Amino acid sequence: MSLVGNILTLLRSIASGLRSLFRKERVEKELDEELNGFLEMAIEEKMKQGLGRKEALRAVRLERGGLDATKEEVRSARWESFLEACWQDLRFAVRMLRKNPGSTAAVVVALALGIGMNTTVFSFANALLFRPPVGVEAPNQLLEIWLHNRQSSGIEGYLPLTYPDYTYYRDHGQSFEGMLAFDGDPHSVVWNRSGEGEIVQGQLVSGNFFSLLGVNAVLGRTISAGDDQASNPQPVVVLGHSFWQQHLGSDPGIIDKNLILNGSNYTVIGVAPPGFAGLLAGIEPDFWAPITMVEQIIRDKGRLSNRNGYWLLVAGRLKPGANARTAAAEALVLAHQIEQDHPDTNKNLDAITYPTTLVPAPYRIYVRAFAGLLLGVFALVLLIACANAASLLLARMTARAREMTVRSVLGASRVRLIRQMLIESTLLSGLAGGAGLILAYWCAPFLLALKPASLPITLRTPIDWRVFLFATSLALITGVTFGLTPALRSAKVQAAPVLKDETQSAGRRKSRLRTFIMIGEVAVCVVLLVGASLCVKSLMNASSIDPGFDTQHVAVATLDPGSMGYSEPQRRAFYEQLTQHIRALPGVSSASFVNHLPMGPAREQTTVTAGAPSDEPLQGAVPVDVFRIAPGYFQTMGILLLRGRDFGVSESDEPAGVAIINEALARRLWPGADPVGQRITSGGDKSATEIIGVVKTGKYRTLGEDPIPVAYLATLPPRRTLVLRTSGDPKFLLDAIRREIQTVDRNMAATDLETMQQYMSLPLFPARTVGLLLGASGVLALVLTCVGLFGVISYIVSQRTHEIGIRVALGARRGDVLRLVLKQGLSVTAIGLALGLGVALVAARLLSSLLYGIGPNDPATLIGVSVALTVVALLACYLPARRATRVDPMVALRYE
Amino acid sequence: MAEKPGDLVQGTLDMLILKTLALEPMHGYGIAVRIEQVSIGVFRVNAGSLFVALQRLQRAGLIQSEWKATENSRRAKYYALTEQGRKRLNSETREWGRQVAAIARILEAS
Repeated sequence: MSLVGNILTLLRSIASGLRSLFRKERVEKELDEELNGFLEMAIEEKMKQGLGRKEALRAVRLERGGLDATKEEVRSARWESFLEACWQDLRFAVRMLRKNPGSTAAVVVALALGIGMNTTVFSFANALLFRPPVGVEAPNQLLEIWLHNRQSSGIEGYLPLTYPDYTYYRDHGQSFEGMLAFDGDPHSVVWNRSGEGEIVQGQLVSGNFFSLLGVNAVLGRTISAGDDQASNPQPVVVLGHSFWQQHLGSDPGIIDKNLILNGSNYTVIGVAPPGFAGLLAGIEPDFWAPITMVEQIIRDKGRLSNRNGYWLLVAGRLKPGANARTAAAEALVLAHQIEQDHPDTNKNLDAITYPTTLVPAPYRIYVRAFAGLLLGVFALVLLIACANAASLLLARMTARAREMTVRSVLGASRVRLIRQMLIESTLLSGLAGGAGLILAYWCAPFLLALKPASLPITLRTPIDWRVFLFATSLALITGVTFGLTPALRSAKVQAAPVLKDETQSAGRRKSRLRTFIMIGEVAVCVVLLVGASLCVKSLMNASSIDPGFDTQHVAVATLDPGSMGYSEPQRRAFYEQLTQHIRALPGVSSASFVNHLPMGPAREQTTVTAGAPSDEPLQGAVPVDVFRIAPGYFQTMGILLLRGRDFGVSESDEPAGVAIINEALARRLWPGADPVGQRITSGGDKSATEIIGVVKTGKYRTLGEDPIPVAYLATLPPRRTLVLRTSGDPKFLLDAIRREIQTVDRNMAATDLETMQQYMSLPLFPARTVGLLLGASGVLALVLTCVGLFGVISYIVSQRTHEIGIRVALGARRGDVLRLVLKQGLSVTAIGLALGLGVALVAARLLSSLLYGIGPNDPATLIGVSVALTVVALLACYLPARRATRVDPMVALRYE
Repeated sequence: MAEKPGDLVQGTLDMLILKTLALEPMHGYGIAVRIEQVSIGVFRVNAGSLFVALQRLQRAGLIQSEWKATENSRRAKYYALTEQGRKRLNSETREWGRQVAAIARILEAS
C-alpha cells in the first residue's frame, strides 16, 4: 500500500477511535444492537431447525461464543481501549497514592528536590550553551574566529582579534557573506544626564553588526557600515530596548537627540528590538556605538592601528552554500598570510573557527565542566531519592501482595500488572518532575541573586522547551529506575502461599532486597558527603586567607576624569577638592588613591634590578607587580609599614624617584639587610629609584597565591580608585561619597562605588556559590538517607512484630529488643559506610588537584562524615526500635 | 478437519469477508452463514473474530457500513466493499493463488 494510503488508514483509525472514546455510549449501544441482532438471527435459524428457544440459545452460545465475551473481544481489539486501560490504571494509582499521603509526599518531595536541583543546573547550562542569541537570524550560520598560539596550551593560547587582523579577515574571507566584530569587554561610560553623571554600559560594534545578525531597529535605524569608517567615525549610538524604556521613559522622539557620553556628544540613531542583547551571555548593553569610535569614547589613541591589542570578538556569517569546514580552512590560510606579513606580532598565531553561541568558544569547556560536575553531584542526590522511592514501593508491594495475587488469579496478565506498577512509579516521578520544574523556576533567579551587585551581569534562565524536556525525561527515567525492580517483583506472585496468608517467605526476600538498596544508599551518601565536605572545607580555607588589608572598614570608588577629556590641571583640581571633601565626612579617618585595587582584573607589571642603572646588577631581574598610590594608602588600607616612611605630600604625583616595596621584594633583593636607602632600577629606566619604606606582604592577584614581589610608586594615572577608612560600617558612607563626588563635579560619577567587603565578594563569588550548592547537596543527601533508613527499619520491625512478641514472651527484656533492632539498622549503616568510604577514597583522588589546604584523605573529614552518618542512622533506627520494645506479646501472637 | 468445523487459516478471514461482500452488501450474520455454506461447513465463524475483523476492515477503509432493514424487517448493520477494498481483494486473491500453487508444488514434490 502506498504511503498516503497508510496515513489515511491511520487517520481513519484514529478518528474512529476518538469517536468511540468520546461518544462511547453510542458506539457501545451500536455494538450491542449489532451483536444482539447477530445472535437473534442465529437463534431463529436454530429454532427453524426445531429446537426450543432455550436449547437454541445454548447451542448458539456454544458455537459462536457468548454475547459478553464477544463484546469484550471486539472492544479490546481497539487501540483506544489500551488508552482506556492505562487511564484506569492511572486512576487506580492516584487512589493508591492518596491512601498513603504521608509516604507519597515524602517520596515526591525527595524526588522533586533531586529533579529540581538537576533542572536548575541544567537551566544555567541551557542559558549559556544551548539557547541561541535572542533576535538573531539563523544563528547556526555564524562562526566565531579565534586566534590560537600554536606553542601554548590551555585557555592562555586563545586570543581575540586586533582591529587590523579583523579588517584583513573581513576583507579577504571568501566563504563568508560578511564578518562582524564587537568589543569583548563592555565599557562603563559616564552619561551626563542633564548635569548629573550616571554610569552606563556600552558595547562597540562593527558597522555590519546589526545587518549581518538580521536585527532591525524598532525605532530609527541601526549602525551602518558608513558610520564605522576608520577615516571618519560617526558619533552615533543605538540604544538597548530596556535602557530606552527604563531610563528614557520609552521616549518616541528620542531619535536625533544627543546623549553626552564621557563628555562628548553622541546622536541617538535608533532603538534595538526588545530582548536583543548582542552575542555575549550575561551582558545587556545600554547602548551600541561604532568600533571606530573607540579612540574617542575611551580616549585610547592608537587602539585601531595597534597590532598588539587583542580585544575584538569576531563572527562571520557563512555564504549560502558555503560549509563550515571550508570556512575554517580558509581562515587558517588567512592567518598564515598575516603571519607572513607581520612575523613580529602574529608569529605562531593560527585561526580557529567555532559555531557561535552566547559563551565565547574557549570558555565553553569550563562552563561544560562546571555544569557537568554539579549535575554529577545532584545526580547522586537523585539516586539517593530513587533508592528511597524504590524501597518504599517494595514495602508497599509486600502489603499489596494479596491484591496483586487476586488480580492475577482473576486473569490480569503479567504485563498488565507490571504496567500498573510502572504507572504508579511514573505517576510519583511525574508529580516530582512538575514540582522540580517549579523549584528550578524559583531556584535559578535565587542563585543569580547571590552574585555581587557590582558584577554587571544579567542572565535569563527561562524554562524553555529544552529545560522542560530535560526535567520530563529525568522524571521518566527516574520513575522507571525506581519502579522497575518492584514491578518485576510484583508480577512474580505465587498465588497459593499468598492467598493462604503465608507472607513470611516472600516478605523476607523483599526485605533483603531493601537492605541491599539501603546499603547502596548509605554508600552513595558517604561518597557525596566526603566529596562535598572536602570541597566546602577547601573553599573555606581559600576564602579565610588574610588578603593583607582591612576588609571591614574601607569603602572604595573608581573615578576616571581622563575619559571625560579633562586636562591635567582640571584633574588635579578635581582630586584635590574631592580629597578635602571626603576627609571632612564624619567618621572618615583617612582617604587615599590607588591606580587599581589588588585582587581585581587590572595588573601592571615590570622587572627590577637592585642598584643604579650604571651599576653591575647584583643578580637577575625580579618580576614585580606595580601599584601606584597617593600618600596615606597604607594607613587607609590597614597595611603595616615595617620600615621607613610613607610617601610625603610633596612627593605625591611627582616623578620624585622614590618607591616603597613589600617584604617579599626586599627578601629577594637584599636578603637579611635593610633595604631602606637602597636603590632599584626598573627595566628600561635611565635613573634609579630610592627605597624609602617596606610594607608587609599581602595578596595581590588571588587569595591562593604565593608571595608576590610588589613595588609602590607615587605617580598616579588619571583613572584612580578612591579608598577611605572609617571607624564604623562603611556601608552607611556610600551615599555621602556619591553626594560629595557630585558636589565637587556634577558631571562626574563613580563606577564600582562599594564597601571593600562587597568588592571582595567578587573574587569569592564562584567559591561561595559552589560551596553553597555542594553544602546543600550534602545536607539533602543526609536527610534523605535518614528518612530512607527510618523507613526500612520501621518496615523490618513491623515484619518482625510476631517474632519480637515471642522473644518478649520467652523473657527477652526491653534492652535486648532494642539491641536487636538497632543492631540490624546499624549493621546496614556500617556496611554502607565501609563501602562508601572505600569508593570515596578513590574518588577524592580525582578531586585532589582542586583542593586547597586539605588532602584528599583528610582524616578529620572522613571521621566527621562517619560520625555524622552514624548519628543520623542511630536517630533513624531509634524510633522504630523503641516501638519494637513496646510490642505487647499477647497482641503480637494473636495477630496471626 | 472434515468431521468438525475448524478454525480458519491464520489471516484468511479478512480475505473471505472481502470476497463475500464483493457479491453484495451483507450483515454480520449473513457473512458468517455465507462463509460456512460456501465452505460446506469446513469453516465455522466465531462471532468474536468476525466482529473484530469487521471493525479492523472498516477502520482500514476497506469496507463501509450502514444500518438497514433485513428481509425479516429487523434492523441490521450492512457492510459493503469500498473501491479500496475491491482493489485489496484483487491483490490478495492473486497473492493467495501464488502461495497456494507454491505450497501445492512443494507438497507434491518428494
